[in-house]
Amino acid sequence: MSGWTVIIVLIANLVAGSLFWRFAPKQDRTVWRSTVSLMLAMMYLMWAFTYLCQLHPLIEPRRSDLRPEFAEKI
Amino acid sequence: MTEEAIFRSANMVLVQVYMASEIARDCVWVLGEMGSIEFLDLNEGVNSFQRAFVEETRRLDNTERQLRYLEGVMREQGVEEPREAYGGAYGGAARQPSRDLEELMQRTPQTTSEMDAVVKAVAEYEQGVREMAETYRGLEKRQQGLQEERSVLEGTRKYFETRMSYDGYRDGDDGSSDRNSSDRFTISSNDSLLTQEERAEGFGPDDVGLHDLEAAPSTGAGPMPRESSVNILGTAMGVVCGTIETDKFAILERILWRTLRGNLYMARVEIGAPVVDFDTGEEQRRCIFAVFTHGGGLVARSRAVAESLGGRVVEVPGSHRAYAVAVHGVNGKLADVQRVLAGTAERLAVELKEVAGQLAGWRAAVARDKAVYAAMNRFDYDPARRCLVAEGWMPRGDVGTARAAMVDVADRRGVDIAPVVSVVDSHLTPPTFFRTNKFTAAFQAIVDAYGIASYREINPGLPAIVTFPFMFAIMFGDMGHGLILTLAAACLCLAESAIARQPHRGEIFDMAYSGRYVLLLMGLFSIFTGFLYSDLFSRPVTLFASRWAYPAGFKEGQTVSATQTGVYPIGLDWAWHSAENTLLFANSYKMKLSILMGFIHMSYSLQLSLANFRFFKSRVDIIGNYIPGFLFMHCIFGYLCLTIVYKWCVDWIGLKRVAPSLLNMLINMFLAPGTVDHQLYPGQGPVQLVLLAVALVCVPWLLLYKPLALRRAHNHSVALGYSEVLSGPSEASSLASSHSHYSSLRPSESESHVLSPSNSLSPSNSHSSSFSHPPPLPFNFADIMVNQVIYTIEFCLNCVSHTASYLRLWALSLAHNQLSSVLWNMTLRNSFVAYSERGFWGCIIVVLLFALWFVLTVAVLVCMEGTSAMLHSLRLHWVEAMSKHFQGEGYKYTPFSFYRLLTSDDDS
Repeated sequence: MSGWTVIIVLIANLVAGSLFWRFAPKQDRTVWRSTVSLMLAMMYLMWAFTYLCQLHPLIEPRRSDLRPEFAEKI
Repeated sequence: MTEEAIFRSANMVLVQVYMASEIARDCVWVLGEMGSIEFLDLNEGVNSFQRAFVEETRRLDNTERQLRYLEGVMREQGVEEPREAYGGAYGGAARQPSRDLEELMQRTPQTTSEMDAVVKAVAEYEQGVREMAETYRGLEKRQQGLQEERSVLEGTRKYFETRMSYDGYRDGDDGSSDRNSSDRFTISSNDSLLTQEERAEGFGPDDVGLHDLEAAPSTGAGPMPRESSVNILGTAMGVVCGTIETDKFAILERILWRTLRGNLYMARVEIGAPVVDFDTGEEQRRCIFAVFTHGGGLVARSRAVAESLGGRVVEVPGSHRAYAVAVHGVNGKLADVQRVLAGTAERLAVELKEVAGQLAGWRAAVARDKAVYAAMNRFDYDPARRCLVAEGWMPRGDVGTARAAMVDVADRRGVDIAPVVSVVDSHLTPPTFFRTNKFTAAFQAIVDAYGIASYREINPGLPAIVTFPFMFAIMFGDMGHGLILTLAAACLCLAESAIARQPHRGEIFDMAYSGRYVLLLMGLFSIFTGFLYSDLFSRPVTLFASRWAYPAGFKEGQTVSATQTGVYPIGLDWAWHSAENTLLFANSYKMKLSILMGFIHMSYSLQLSLANFRFFKSRVDIIGNYIPGFLFMHCIFGYLCLTIVYKWCVDWIGLKRVAPSLLNMLINMFLAPGTVDHQLYPGQGPVQLVLLAVALVCVPWLLLYKPLALRRAHNHSVALGYSEVLSGPSEASSLASSHSHYSSLRPSESESHVLSPSNSLSPSNSHSSSFSHPPPLPFNFADIMVNQVIYTIEFCLNCVSHTASYLRLWALSLAHNQLSSVLWNMTLRNSFVAYSERGFWGCIIVVLLFALWFVLTVAVLVCMEGTSAMLHSLRLHWVEAMSKHFQGEGYKYTPFSFYRLLTSDDDS
């Protein structure tokens, strides 16, 4: 997994969004389109930022309460 | 299919309706069922008492008053209105407005004769009920009087008996017979005349309330005792007994002391239960008083004083036999009164039950008819041609239906002059009308609480459907808390029809109920963000294997660091949860996330302003406001956001380079342009110089372009000799009124052609108020300049402060996360100990601590924190996002609709 995942998911999202845009329900179409597109966009952004920030972290988790016999299981 | 009217408000047209006066009522009725016209008041100058249909309105007002009276009596008598299907105070009479022609044709208006029948029936019932109720009240009053009298008789008798038997209380008939205890025994046996029932009512005298107030030495022998007199110490004393309000007893006492010069003896006994005063409806406490004095004049005077203070004087016969007769008489009268009272109450209840069944229907009929006449009072009435002219705002799509429905009314009534509905051109600003449904209504309410969008402006309520709950969820992110919220909202949504039928909901509950779909989305998005934060009731979500591996082979207590084995696919790696430096990482992540989401939110809102300017064809606003604003914002904060993402993408440790601080970079961009401490990317210095230069150029651009362009346009038109014509919908003058008035620039279509040719009523537009042009605003360069200076300063400062304001997303989400983990550590976690340590008690402690933890979670973390996060999200929308594009200078569309009439504020 690398930074490309972000691009791939973006493309998948765009495809899903445009498909929905095309086949949105006739009733309340504007509401459906706007809500679903915005929802996809915001959820994607949130995920992407979370993913990106862990791509090359500058610090690593550190703990001192670990017991050696459990270390392998974590 | 009608237009949706949610992205922009519905396209409204001003329609003029001409109708013959004989069918006007039916026409208005149909429009009321349709619920899509807002009538303008064409008689603004006319006093409300001089309008055409005052008589009818007054008649209906009277009926309404009678209905209210009947309702009041019903409440007094405890007769309930049947409410099988709750539809407010009007029963099920409220029907959804319909824009379907077929359905409209079936909803026939109630005829005037039906209405007359209702009015007559109500009046008859009211009269009958009023008579009966008055009789009832009279009887009740009488009953109370008798009861009072009886308690006086009893109270005084007891008093005499206990206090004065020694001193010489004597039966008048027995004369000088020995006054021993046998006398008292007879009296106490006579007490049985006072029925037991009375004591049950709590009407008997209060034994503890006996007071000796004054004991005036009675000296001189008074003249002959009248009937109510007692012999004290061998002296005949006059007695005045009765009841008086407890508060007034002291006054009575003082006045009597003064007027009788101290020649009296007073006593009082409290009556246990408070008495309801029938005239004022208030409860008051009364007490029995007895005044002993001598001399007919003094007795008469005390009696007058007592009566003037609202006291009630009761004759208490001095003789024992007379006393017994009096008590007997009173009891007999009381029994009669009570019998009649019961009969009257029964008849009244029967009558009221009859009324109760029909009350809702009557109320609806009267309210509708009254609304029809109120609407017709706003019309222009032409008595000569016997026609009414109405004007009102209507969504363009509904005009055809309205026209057809009204023609249908004329056909049915056999009137050959069909009503004419014509669309007229006007310079008035139409009302803002968004067609909402039960899902979008709550989101629209959030925006409307801030301001009503200008006519045809982009509705910020539409994107708010997602952004509002999502911004909330960023602050509230926790799967468990989100789940609780979702479940609660889902209950409200699933039971919505049952809740809607409930007659009286609490205010807080009603708020949650009306916002149930908002809460549902808030909960769902919180589950999503909670999953990304890897928080479930502050515990990690270990769905995927952690991408951090701790090394093997270390001693216990030694600090170990993990090494990365990959990128956690969705959300934060849960290995951070138990790490010591978790805050260091989470802070950096959440802070950057807030800036990015905030900037994207604001940028999105700014693009809406471009869409607005384009829709209103305001070129000067695009060039003078949007473009410089866009450049300024994106050159500084857009650049910051790009560098944040770029910094994430570079493997600084792998490249063995120093990761630059972005905050310092941004500060240095202004303080030391061109110099870079730690390079982020090659060519960074010059790029930042260019960006800074662009941003700086944007300030004077934003400041000067629009005012100067407007002035040039104005001067140009003046030079061409158009200064007089500028009042029309020309671009320059409307724009001149300020940046915010672009809404008046809508394309003016001339649609004043009459669309229904088969008529003999020729519309004459002269009397219509809506054709008067608004006075042209004079071009004032100074005003425009000042406005623009304010706008520029605001925009530039807001770019900084609003971006910083989005950091609240970080702060609140951090606080929420920390609070929930503290709660976990303080309560539930302490209960998990080995069985050997606490034994069976440990199990019970788990249960108890779980209860504590759960209650605190719901109360503090979900309710309190949720409210706070919601308010912050609200602010982010109202201030940070909406300031980028929202004008909010419209006014709300309030159509004439029976449905609205019968469903809103009916419980007041």
